[in-house]
Amino acid sequence: MKKNDLYSKEEKRFRDKNKIYATQSVKQIAYSTDNRDFGQVARSIPCQDACPAKTNIPGYIRCVYEKRYGRAYELNRVANVLPGVLGRICSRPCESACRHGEPENGVSVGICHLKRSCADLKPASHKIIEGLYSPTNKHVAVIGSGPAGLATAHDLAILGHKVTIYEAEDKPGGMMMYGIPEFRLPRDLLLLEIKNIVRLGIEMKTGQMIGRDITLDELKNDHDAVVIATGCVSPRMLGVPGEDLVNLHNGLEFMRSVNQGGKPFVGKKVVVIGAGFTAVDCARSAIRLGAADVSINIRKTIEYMRIDETEKHEAQFEGIKTYSLIQPSKIMGENGIVTGIEFIRTRLEKTQRPPYRKSVPIENSQFVIKANSVIAALGQTPDSQVISNELGSIDKNEHKSGIDGVFLAGDFVTGSSDVISAVAGGKKCARAIDEYMTGEIRKQTVVRLENHKTTDRPRAFDFIGKIVMNTVEMDARLTDADTEVETGYKDDQAHEEAKRCYLCNLKYEIDPLACIYCSACIDVAPKDCIKMIKDVPVATDGTFGPYVETNQWNNVVSIAIDNANCIRCGNCLAVCPMDCISVTKTELIEIDT
Amino acid sequence: MPSNDHYVIIGNGPAGNHAASVLRNKDKDAKITIISDECTPYYYKPKLTGFIQGKISARELMVNGPDDYTNGYYKNIRIRLGQTIERIDPDFNAVFLNHMEKIQYTGLIIASGGQARVLPSMIPYAEHLSFIASYSDVMDIKDRIDKAEEFFIFGGDLVGFKFLRMLNAMGKKTSVLIYPNAFWPYNLTDDMLEKIIKSLSGLTSDIIVKDDIKKIEKNESGFRVFTQKGVVKTTDLIFSFNGMAPNIDFAVGCGLDTDHGILVDEYLKTNIDNIYACGSCAQVYNPSIKSYCVSIGWPNAMVQGEVCALNLLGEKKVVESVGRKYFDLEGVRIKTTWWDDINDDSLRM
Repeated sequence: MKKNDLYSKEEKRFRDKNKIYATQSVKQIAYSTDNRDFGQVARSIPCQDACPAKTNIPGYIRCVYEKRYGRAYELNRVANVLPGVLGRICSRPCESACRHGEPENGVSVGICHLKRSCADLKPASHKIIEGLYSPTNKHVAVIGSGPAGLATAHDLAILGHKVTIYEAEDKPGGMMMYGIPEFRLPRDLLLLEIKNIVRLGIEMKTGQMIGRDITLDELKNDHDAVVIATGCVSPRMLGVPGEDLVNLHNGLEFMRSVNQGGKPFVGKKVVVIGAGFTAVDCARSAIRLGAADVSINIRKTIEYMRIDETEKHEAQFEGIKTYSLIQPSKIMGENGIVTGIEFIRTRLEKTQRPPYRKSVPIENSQFVIKANSVIAALGQTPDSQVISNELGSIDKNEHKSGIDGVFLAGDFVTGSSDVISAVAGGKKCARAIDEYMTGEIRKQTVVRLENHKTTDRPRAFDFIGKIVMNTVEMDARLTDADTEVETGYKDDQAHEEAKRCYLCNLKYEIDPLACIYCSACIDVAPKDCIKMIKDVPVATDGTFGPYVETNQWNNVVSIAIDNANCIRCGNCLAVCPMDCISVTKTELIEIDT
Repeated sequence: MPSNDHYVIIGNGPAGNHAASVLRNKDKDAKITIISDECTPYYYKPKLTGFIQGKISARELMVNGPDDYTNGYYKNIRIRLGQTIERIDPDFNAVFLNHMEKIQYTGLIIASGGQARVLPSMIPYAEHLSFIASYSDVMDIKDRIDKAEEFFIFGGDLVGFKFLRMLNAMGKKTSVLIYPNAFWPYNLTDDMLEKIIKSLSGLTSDIIVKDDIKKIEKNESGFRVFTQKGVVKTTDLIFSFNGMAPNIDFAVGCGLDTDHGILVDEYLKTNIDNIYACGSCAQVYNPSIKSYCVSIGWPNAMVQGEVCALNLLGEKKVVESVGRKYFDLEGVRIKTTWWDDINDDSLRM
């Protein structure tokens, strides 16, 4: 396809007018380690800042817009070795932070759907790029092949270390393989992305449980370092009477059974307790096991459920009801089998820490409902006792245990989180291990600054509605329980959705020495993003704080663009009579030290 | 000394208007503003079907015309119609309209009512559905109702059955798919359903139960509706009657506690001191049953509007239900509020 075929007539006119050509002249690039630049990137690119792995989201969305899906996939893979997986099951903190979703700006960009598009739509001939270091002759054992273990193993292998993964289960993938239902995450895709990791020379030993088949001491003796990335495997209990009754399942075991092809008994009426992804996965799986009446029951309100809007919608679509402001007080049973559940009503009470609300039981408000089965999906905690009783004091930031050479990654050290956080944790752990084994810091994150001539998008893109994800109909979901519900964007849909991204990685700046204070830019700004300022405070961490505004002309030291409010419409650039507004592309990248 | 207070009321229905009149009666000088996203003055929603049939005029549909806000109970109350609330900023006691106008308040009453509930399973087909939930809905569809011959109605709440009676009187051909949960938050039992079918049999010969819509196809002249059990219906118009969902999107995330409505205590106060909520957008705590519920019905909305206004002015009045506690749905008694018979399982939400 010719490059120009990508663009509509309107876009072509915009590109011609702004002199955007396929080739650029000599690039002006700088690399910065200045905290002020890190601070600017964090404030200006909220999606990337919210992503635990700091994925270059505007960068890959721009590539999707240009239909360079392979490049988009690689940009993802720099931060996250499982783009196809995360494009389906990510908890999407980026979308909650997306500037397009702020008041008056509309709806967040479908970032996760676009991530999936990178994996789905990249050409068959796509080549994965890995910057391999020379072998170090160091050998690392990674315990656990979940997202944290895989990310750690991948980055260590890149750095030239030999890696062996020890996985207790028969198949690799951890929670992704055994905790998430196949209708959300196809296993062939998961195995493909795992294969892309292990083919760097990583040895994968499945069916190897620490404490049963091999001990931590043995691993320590045979390797230069050991990483524990076994995640959270101990389910939180309800702590109410009746928890030992038959047909009361814990969410994790329930999903493990379903994912191994089992058909745990659910009956017609199923009560699920929990407010996270596992609770919804259990409820949706129960529907596929033949339940007719499935409810998710939560202590707080729907607003505080730890799932995204897509999951809420799909659960509702499949007929699952959500009851809020109740918590279980007793599991009812007869002859040792669940017959119902007693709830107590709750109310919200303000707290000082996020999420700023807790549920408080209302005395004497109990009521009972009938149920054939109850699934308690309350999350999990790490089980360090299984691995070793002598891990000692843990340094979470450095990923270190109290044992020399034993490191910790992912949920095992942070507690139950999500896949993208585990991937990010794995990458950080790999750096810590590399430094431990080589005695030097070999990689460094810097801000790459590149002069950019244009805004890259017309204002009309701001008014495009969000493209809805394609899904299969209800019949198909029930006919084959493993049928993937979301079918992904088509090529043109991905291109259209990518237009919606503001490209917050473009930094707009006014040169105060060239500015004539005409305020034309302020007049045309659709947001309150260009300000008359009298001071730019520097925070204790060395980053710039919010501008101090003034409406007194005699106090104005500069007219400045607040990139944290800017929606990159380019109006200011178009009207500036002095050509004193510059655009700079900013990216966080890793370089060799 | 003249009052500098500015009471802002979001919503132009019975709760909002009654709150405004009580506020005006108790505080002659305060500035009072009613903001509504509808472009129509205060009107009787229950009379919309009569308006479609031409039994009453547009003027007769109105409770208050614009002139009514210059005299009497509603004197000097400012009406802002066709204005959508973008968000509330409780820290600065301000509401923002969608054109970014900022309105400061000393007290805020949210009485934004409900909007037609679109079932999650119907979201992909929402553009094919018609509703009778507001004056603007009716104005959009009135002429097409006159011209159409065949109608498909699904759900079947109180307004839905009223609409069915109206279509029958107009000589239209109808098919009805009844959902037992159309009366959300109440579920119909099999016995109730049987009584309703018997009662409706005189209005239409085509009643479908225990089935669901599988898909809707648009064609040149109208639509084809396919059900899960293989029934196919050709129709000119499709109407959804599945109750109302609280109209509170603008309040979510601003610091107000919300669930299936805005959570308020028995004094109708939200978790923020100078913000109250009433009517069908409020989920009210009832200490006697120790639970939150949404009430429906015009009389309840008016009483709640009054309680909101009085409590905003410093009183400490507990809300109680009034008017009909039940409505008659084709011979079946359905509870309109949650104050009584809470232990009656068949009526419980």
